[in-house]
Amino acid sequence: MEPISIFLISILACLGSGCANDVADDVSASSYASVSGQSAQMGPKMDVNLPDKVYFEFDNFDLGDDAMDTLEQYIRFAKRAKAIRLEGHCDERGTREYNLALGEKRAQSVKEFLIVNGISSSKIDVVSYGEERPDRLGSSESAYKANRRVEISLY
Amino acid sequence: MISRKILENLTYNFLQIDMSLKLFFISIFLFSLSIFSNITIEISRGTEEPPRIAVVPFLYDDQSISNLLTNQISDNLSLFGEFEIIANSDLIAFPSSPEDFFYNDWKILDIDYVVAGFISLEEDTSKYIVNYFLFDIRQGRNLLNGTARSSADSLVLSSHKMSNRIYKQITGVDGIFTTKLMYILNPEKDKYQLNICDINGDNEITLFDSPEPIMSPDWSPDGEKISYVSFENGNSEIFIQDLSSGKRNSLRRYPGINSAPVWSPNGNYLAFVSSRSGNPDVYLFDLKTEKISRITAHYGIDTEPSFSANGRKLLFTSNRSGTPQLYEVSLITRKISRITFDGNYNARGRYFPDGKNIVFVHRSEGKFHISIKRLGKSGLKMLTETTLDESPSVSPNNNFIIYATKDAENGYLAGISLDGLAKFKIPSKIGAIREPVWSPFLN
Repeated sequence: MEPISIFLISILACLGSGCANDVADDVSASSYASVSGQSAQMGPKMDVNLPDKVYFEFDNFDLGDDAMDTLEQYIRFAKRAKAIRLEGHCDERGTREYNLALGEKRAQSVKEFLIVNGISSSKIDVVSYGEERPDRLGSSESAYKANRRVEISLY
Repeated sequence: MISRKILENLTYNFLQIDMSLKLFFISIFLFSLSIFSNITIEISRGTEEPPRIAVVPFLYDDQSISNLLTNQISDNLSLFGEFEIIANSDLIAFPSSPEDFFYNDWKILDIDYVVAGFISLEEDTSKYIVNYFLFDIRQGRNLLNGTARSSADSLVLSSHKMSNRIYKQITGVDGIFTTKLMYILNPEKDKYQLNICDINGDNEITLFDSPEPIMSPDWSPDGEKISYVSFENGNSEIFIQDLSSGKRNSLRRYPGINSAPVWSPNGNYLAFVSSRSGNPDVYLFDLKTEKISRITAHYGIDTEPSFSANGRKLLFTSNRSGTPQLYEVSLITRKISRITFDGNYNARGRYFPDGKNIVFVHRSEGKFHISIKRLGKSGLKMLTETTLDESPSVSPNNNFIIYATKDAENGYLAGISLDGLAKFKIPSKIGAIREPVWSPFLN
């Protein structure tokens, strides 16, 4: 196509019913780098032969009787442990970041129970995974119940 | 120039005879692409009587180049059901410029618009120059004369740019065909990816992958950086990653959760959530000075901040009333006002780019739906019908919302147009896909 003829056509089109919009783009694609992360390393756990999870109600972080029964058995081991890691988790209902906050509240409830029972707060590490690491997959009530938990690890 | 034109015409005549065979090969090619891509788009419903548009294969001696461009433009314009594409087999003429375009040829097809064009190769740079034209048949007008210049490896992007121009010229709304979607993919247990893809699901790229969870991705307003939360060091930690270099920086990590980073519209701040004071509150991180200022201070959960379009307000979720509700805080006066009053779960709000509306997750009868609300007005409108809808993100032209939802087992992405006419689904062939974020307009 000769530029001059396009120009003439454009002029004619303009005379007829208003100008066409002229646009020009110089296109070049962006490049994207890909990065890999590593796995978080934890030391070997203390073997205490106790249930390693306590459970919660929906959108709630209060310790129930069952949870307190479990935690009471932990006290004597927790006193000997060098470090205690409490991981708070939620079921999949509700928004992710809110659940991350809720998971932390659950782990803090456990931490407070341990502190009240004489465990030093300095050796307790509280982590929340929100709903990111379900213990059981699926959208059933039983899966939800299994996932609303705090996992206790002694080191 | 003239001799090439003759050559193109000769080749073109030959190709027209050969067209059906060529189209067969092209369709095989596209089919194989969609097999390798993890994501496919399924449109459930188009607009009612969408405008009819023909995209005439652009004149060029290499028909594979021409078809690559025109097929992509056709796919774009029909992606959300906003246009009905006239099949190539129904075309009655193959114009390539205003010079050989006759409106009367097209009137009998009951057609609204025609896109036509021709391609040439710039010899010294080996770049393709695409001249393309948009014709309005009803008005008998040439609406758009465009040129796009690109190397061979940018032809698809070039077709997206052309689609943007055509879309804008017809609808008056900015096209989103060069924008991208970012999301978290969880292909299997203990494997997490932060990916981006074109809005049609093509060109999926992994930006970051980790054996530990990744969450809360967001784009910088210039589209050159992203932020997200990674658990790679054993706790939630906020990272900023440069997209082209892959260079990553961690925000200073404090005990407790470090989450929900979002960029201010001017790109100078990140709002984020930290529980360093003992419970989750919203903070601002100044990216230049690295200074941190606390925005909320309440013993309840304050989280999920989002900047208003002018950067003067934050929307956030707080359970200070006893249930999660949305609040606004002025970054100038620090005055906090409650926004939502309907029901007992309203969370993860985002402002629309127009600044007048918000989109958020609302629980009704135990089900979580994407809902919208006009600021300053009472009530809300639920947009979705599935039960576990979350993480809404608005397209930069205000027209679409993409969100995450779930069927029996796996998470997938779904979208809806604000007029409610187009709905689309982006399932993943591998594992769960969630937390979609629509990119800003990209250059």
